[in-house]
Amino acid sequence: MGMTVSPDSQKAAAEALVAAASGIDGVDAEVAERSSGTNPRYVVVANASPGSWRTLAEKLYSEHAVDHCSMVTGIHWPEGDAERKWEVVYHLMRTGVRDPPNENGIVRPVIVNPSKARGASMPLELEIHVHLPDSTTPSVDSVQDIWVGADWNEKETWDLVGIDFDGHQGMRRVLQPHETPKGYHPLQKQHHLRYHGFVEMYDDAQGFMRKPADVGKIK
Amino acid sequence: MAEMWISMGPQHPMTHGLWTLKVKVDGETVVDTEPDLGYIHRGVEKICESRDFTQITTYCDRLCYASANTWSHAYIYAAEDLLEVEVPERAEYIRLVAIELQRVASHLMWLGAYGPDIGNLSVMVWCLREREMMMDLLQELGGSRMHYNFPRIGGVKRDLPYGFAQRARAKLKLFLNRIQEYEALFDESTVFLVRSQGVGYAKPEEMVNHGVTGPNLRAGGVNYDIRWAHPYSVYSELDWAPPVERSSIKGADCYDRYRVRVEEMRVSASLVLQALDKMPGGADTYHEPEDPMILAKAPSRAPEGTTGAHHFEDSRGESMFYIAGGGEGRGKQPYRVSIRSPMFITIPYAAKCMIGYKVADIPAIMGSFDPCIGETDR
Repeated sequence: MGMTVSPDSQKAAAEALVAAASGIDGVDAEVAERSSGTNPRYVVVANASPGSWRTLAEKLYSEHAVDHCSMVTGIHWPEGDAERKWEVVYHLMRTGVRDPPNENGIVRPVIVNPSKARGASMPLELEIHVHLPDSTTPSVDSVQDIWVGADWNEKETWDLVGIDFDGHQGMRRVLQPHETPKGYHPLQKQHHLRYHGFVEMYDDAQGFMRKPADVGKIK
Repeated sequence: MAEMWISMGPQHPMTHGLWTLKVKVDGETVVDTEPDLGYIHRGVEKICESRDFTQITTYCDRLCYASANTWSHAYIYAAEDLLEVEVPERAEYIRLVAIELQRVASHLMWLGAYGPDIGNLSVMVWCLREREMMMDLLQELGGSRMHYNFPRIGGVKRDLPYGFAQRARAKLKLFLNRIQEYEALFDESTVFLVRSQGVGYAKPEEMVNHGVTGPNLRAGGVNYDIRWAHPYSVYSELDWAPPVERSSIKGADCYDRYRVRVEEMRVSASLVLQALDKMPGGADTYHEPEDPMILAKAPSRAPEGTTGAHHFEDSRGESMFYIAGGGEGRGKQPYRVSIRSPMFITIPYAAKCMIGYKVADIPAIMGSFDPCIGETDR
């Protein structure tokens, strides 16, 4: 009915972007198929080396109209290869959003027809993986100045996972308390989820000092 | 006058939750802001790493207490991408009904809370009255009042109960009439207009660069919506278009953000009505739970190296899940679950929007972005 973007045109746009991005040293891009329930979606998935990530990001922003940084995910792989002990996954998007034009003082809303979206107005998803080598202080180039939306995402990634971002202005704890000990990042895999020492009220509703069945076990 | 920092929150009516907005003021004018979040950080991402894929749904429900259904669906779509499950079409229609009813309920909760923010107390009671109708309908689907745990990997928990379609049509018809009452209450209230018009301007390109999406973006005069840009469910089968506001030259103000949400409730109600009419098998047929018409079989393990991701149009913007498989129990649990919260990204931007306005405008600007701290802090 033309109310949504068709998967075929999205695939063509993804292939065009892959062809352009593969030219950069250290970048290896392909079109991957993801599914949303029953609908197929075509996503640009790329692996970038830590050195080429910043170049790729600048190129995506300035030449391919990738205007939205959706999410930054940090992953700790303590049992992975020495070259991929840490991973940062960037979910970027091309939204095609433009400021509405102003004609004689009247703003005309921009209504993109999904079935006719082409070129830079074709919405697209990108997933960029950056693998980092074994290190106690992993870090990768910040893209805070390209997409301001990455600012708090990067803060969160450092706060919870401990991956630092070179060139990030104003890095600080965002979700954990400000007085959290230095070097404590709970999503690193050496930290396990566990019951604390206290007995919760509902574990002892009868008052017989009963403990949960798995007391003392690391969960 | 000397500039000084003041703390609004963590206990402040403006915050709609528990967080602090540090405001630097010069007399009555805001010159700088710094949000401070994390007061109700529960570590959901860490908890998910030691839970089975089916158990995580309940945690995702509790990410946002005003919009539980959209969050559990966002997770379910990412998990289905990870586990490669094909969903029956009827289940997709039922999900759409649940998601859009929840969107209406969430916007009503926002509208009800926004009234008191800017000095219109009676509107809260009016909005909660209609929200109750939506919650009754959702309760019929999920069984509980706020956290439904309704979707399953591969479908939905239950089919529409007997008579649900009839009740939903009657309630939505009544609701569509009553939207006009809110518009009368707000648009004809001088207090509301004076406090919401001309404050908190935001331009679309800037918003996208700052990561702000959803109704806040559409208020600026662009029709970007994940539901058509990266379609999921059965939005491609229905006749709809996201509402867009005609903003002013300076961008969208608080009034535009209010208008776009009211229009969005109309669109959501129309989507539910269409889905009930078009549902394969008809909305009045009932299938037992676990019938293949509403629930497909799903594997319980995801091997290492598999990933699932899904962008989802939440009531507050773009929410997203990224799941890496291959955790404990030979992939029975995820290795890493990452959650994008729209408000976590929007709150810093909303705080920047306040600079240059008066201290009294802060509740009006912050409230218009629809903050929900449950999902922000995770």
